[in-house]
Amino acid sequence: MAFLFGKKIAGLQIQRYWGLLHVLVERNLKVRYRGSFLGVYWSLLNPLIMTGLYTTIFGTTFASYYGNSIVNYILAAFTGLVVINFFSASTNQALSSIVNNGGLLNKINLPASVFPVSMIAANLFQFTVGAFPLLVIITLVNSKSFVNVMALLFPFTALILFSTGVSFITSALYVFFRDLPYFYELVVFVLWMSSPVFYPAAIVPKHVQPILKLNPLLPIIESLRQISLSGKLPNWDLIINSFISAIIISLLGWACFKSLRHQFMDLL
Amino acid sequence: MEIIRLDKISLWRRTQEEFSYDLKKTLLSILEGKYRKPAKNLVLDRIDLSVSSGEKIGIIGANGSGKSTLLKIICGILQPTNGTVRVRGTIAPLIELGAGFDPEISVRDNIILYGVMLGFSRTEMKERIKSILQFAELEDYILSPVKALSSGMVARLGFAIATDIQPDILILDEVLSVGDESFQNKSKKRIENFWNNNTTILVVSHNLKFIQDTCNQVIWLNKGKVQIMGSADEVIQCYLGSVNKAM
Repeated sequence: MAFLFGKKIAGLQIQRYWGLLHVLVERNLKVRYRGSFLGVYWSLLNPLIMTGLYTTIFGTTFASYYGNSIVNYILAAFTGLVVINFFSASTNQALSSIVNNGGLLNKINLPASVFPVSMIAANLFQFTVGAFPLLVIITLVNSKSFVNVMALLFPFTALILFSTGVSFITSALYVFFRDLPYFYELVVFVLWMSSPVFYPAAIVPKHVQPILKLNPLLPIIESLRQISLSGKLPNWDLIINSFISAIIISLLGWACFKSLRHQFMDLL
Repeated sequence: MEIIRLDKISLWRRTQEEFSYDLKKTLLSILEGKYRKPAKNLVLDRIDLSVSSGEKIGIIGANGSGKSTLLKIICGILQPTNGTVRVRGTIAPLIELGAGFDPEISVRDNIILYGVMLGFSRTEMKERIKSILQFAELEDYILSPVKALSSGMVARLGFAIATDIQPDILILDEVLSVGDESFQNKSKKRIENFWNNNTTILVVSHNLKFIQDTCNQVIWLNKGKVQIMGSADEVIQCYLGSVNKAM
């Protein structure tokens, strides 16, 4: 009996969490795109313009690393930028989400984790209507296989897990350290420059390459490129690699968030 | 039936003043070996409380005695450091009405948002939009953003949403007068309705006469402790006695 009762409460809590997530994401997107004609497609503009910029500047120089094809360079830059963009946008927005909603947490009993998660979810929605269809087309053209299109979901699940884990850590720490955004900006910049997004990994000196491998975004980008650009069937080793760091970070993030949660209210 | 039970509730809170919200400073102070654990205050001290359904309880005491904090513990907003809280049923907190509104989105969306935050489902809230707007007298504003409303209208909307359904437990933190004269009467009537029904009510107020007239039990909190608890007349007399003595 007690067990059944507990199960019912858990069910209700999940329902409430889902409802909260729904309204928060809806609000988030409505506020962001109110009155803008292109709406959600603005989020595509950033990776497209960046790809154009990199191609103009580095395209001809680096083309030899991409089978002497500028198109290959464009695609490689675009796939890398999509990953970096999703990561930096969603985690930056999630960082301040707990503090920004501190007033609310002081008035109504809410699960605090719903705020960073809703930021990730809002970006996920944008991504699904914006960059994802483009990636599907690129993958179909290159591989002519629906297996590869389906496999796109793997590196992205890893990306979402990774971003959520990082968001849990940063949004919790921001409650205690209000100068965190300056540090975090640096962290994102380092991650960005150390991922081979607009340069080929081969130009990095041999003895530096192992250090770059520590970048947890790297396996995600590699797996995404292998699936969408190589024209071969998905490589499982790369997929598993991308999940390892993602799962570790997401568990770590959740543990960190949970252990700090009870101290939030004194500082909000 | 017992609906709220607090067992030996204590709450320590960090004093915010001496806390540095700064990563750089904190790291430096650790390196210099000067890091101190942040100081904490005892805000609530071993509070026991048992409330049966339908009881009306008033909480009185000086500013900073922990009245609002106690309400937050009961709502689940704060977790006690020690002790256990058990609450059965739905709680409608009328603490600062409209705190959950987003000024940028429409009144309609805000009704759903606020309702879901208070614990109702989205479908439930969609069905209630009409009756809420009607009560708040804001039918003409359904699509305008909340920032276009006057502060009185916002408070009216908050009150209408939070009280649209009769909750099992109503929590009032000095928010009995909302809006203009006619709305005040209307909201008073609604609260009185709750009062006459089986709703359990906890109210924090400095209006002792109001508490005396409406509550059957009164708690006097003094520096986080229950000074006394008992019938309204008795407790209020003691409280007034001590206040007058201090003068």
